[in-house]
Amino acid sequence: MTRSASRIRLLPAAILLVGAFCAALWLTFDYAGPGEPDIARWIDTAHTTGSINVVSAIYLNARLFDTLLEVLVFSVAVLGVRFYLDERGRRESVESIPESHVLRLSSDLLLPLILLLGIYLTVYGHLSPGGGFSGGAAAGTGLLLAAIALGADSVAQRFHESILERVEWAILLCVFFLAGISAALGRTPLTDLLPPGTPGRLASGGSILLYNILIGAKVFIGTWVMIHHFIQHRGEI
Amino acid sequence: MEINGVTVSILLFGIALLGLILRRDLVVKLLALGLINSSTILCLVSLHARPDGAAPILQTPSGPEIVDPLPHAMVLSAIVINFAILALALVFVMLLVERYHTTDSQRIERETSEEERS
Repeated sequence: MTRSASRIRLLPAAILLVGAFCAALWLTFDYAGPGEPDIARWIDTAHTTGSINVVSAIYLNARLFDTLLEVLVFSVAVLGVRFYLDERGRRESVESIPESHVLRLSSDLLLPLILLLGIYLTVYGHLSPGGGFSGGAAAGTGLLLAAIALGADSVAQRFHESILERVEWAILLCVFFLAGISAALGRTPLTDLLPPGTPGRLASGGSILLYNILIGAKVFIGTWVMIHHFIQHRGEI
Repeated sequence: MEINGVTVSILLFGIALLGLILRRDLVVKLLALGLINSSTILCLVSLHARPDGAAPILQTPSGPEIVDPLPHAMVLSAIVINFAILALALVFVMLLVERYHTTDSQRIERETSEEERS
């Protein structure tokens, strides 16, 4: 049996199976869901924490331990990328793509804006859409632009990776420590240590701002470490 | 048949599942995996969307009623875990490409079985 013959035989079977599965999913889908959602409870949670963004109030306060394990998953992914790519050896120098005026100019213009946007998303996570994860990812992606425009080696020289990795794990320990303190003080499920403050002000939302900044820094460092290892392993951008 | 977020997400899920089964390129398989994740997110968010609902951010003068914020908080976990899975899977694809010089899953399978025989 040749390869193309096996592929042709597989095609209708796969389409039939997937189509039947999707049709079953569509027909049995329960649009009503499990009754009316309890929105008032989450608004109460937001009022208790002083955060305006209700989603932030949920994932950094009422469901904080969920988020902590999420941060742990992210750290393990960064660790896995580092472990497997370090083991395979890294190239000595990274070839950068030929210098281009358009790229250089656009990176000079955009990089500060992207970093600023990342910081804004992180710091205003309890007041507007955003938060540590999205802000850190945005700023980390800005570093990818810098690596493309300036070359990965020159960006890496400015970031001392051995220190950064320690900072990353220190932040993780810090976040777990903060959550551990509030759990030890019996502040569950609302895990707030700081006062809520005036809703709408920057310094409000209890410990949500603190967690957002810590998680944002961690995601920023983790994204850069991942990007840098991918670039180093490939040997070019 | 009403076209709403759930219908589109089921359609996307089917397309991505077909890509996962039929395409032999490992990178395309990973893209399909990402598409499955996106369709799940679309389903979760659109399930609790209401035409007159506002985003779950409290306005000082009481504006329109907000939608249920819990799925939005759950979706965040899905996004981060998908990011972690894709990053790790890309590393493994890179290691396979380094060894076998192809992203074709069937060729990699054939070469590994030949290696086992010899």
